[in-house]
Amino acid sequence: MAEILQYFMLFLIVLMLALALFAVKTKDLLSAVIASGFISLVASIVYLYLQAPDVAMTEAAIGAGITTLVFVITVRKTKGKEK
Amino acid sequence: MSNIVLPIVFGLVSFATLLATIRIISGPTIPDRAVGLDTATTITTAMIVLFAQIFHRAIYLDIALVYAVLAFLGVIAIARYLEGGM
Repeated sequence: MAEILQYFMLFLIVLMLALALFAVKTKDLLSAVIASGFISLVASIVYLYLQAPDVAMTEAAIGAGITTLVFVITVRKTKGKEK
Repeated sequence: MSNIVLPIVFGLVSFATLLATIRIISGPTIPDRAVGLDTATTITTAMIVLFAQIFHRAIYLDIALVYAVLAFLGVIAIARYLEGGM
């Protein structure tokens, strides 16, 4: 069971890496915001695996909820495209 | 029983997460990516409940609850942005 969990965490971390590369490379800022929201979502799962449920709860509340909201409002007030 | 079921469940959850990630990365428009994020949110909530089952700790269910309540905020903000409000 522990080996399956380790492989699953490896899969999730590779997924986070791919999403982070996408968020850096894309020119559309809203796509980058969506990708970073998914990254903080997966990071909450990783914190849960590392036996830190309080950190996971804070990450889920602030990282996935409030940060996405603030970033979307900020993109709304700017042009929304990278040069 | 649990030795058979849990690897299958982990495989299915991994596959679903992979599909949502592919939609977020390669989706041609923003609504595709928003729907991919919403799908990933639901999958993640199920994943936290799965961890509560594996580690036998009921406190993890509270995290799933907080997550399910608050994860709507981001998707609703993106939807309002796309509709032109806000």
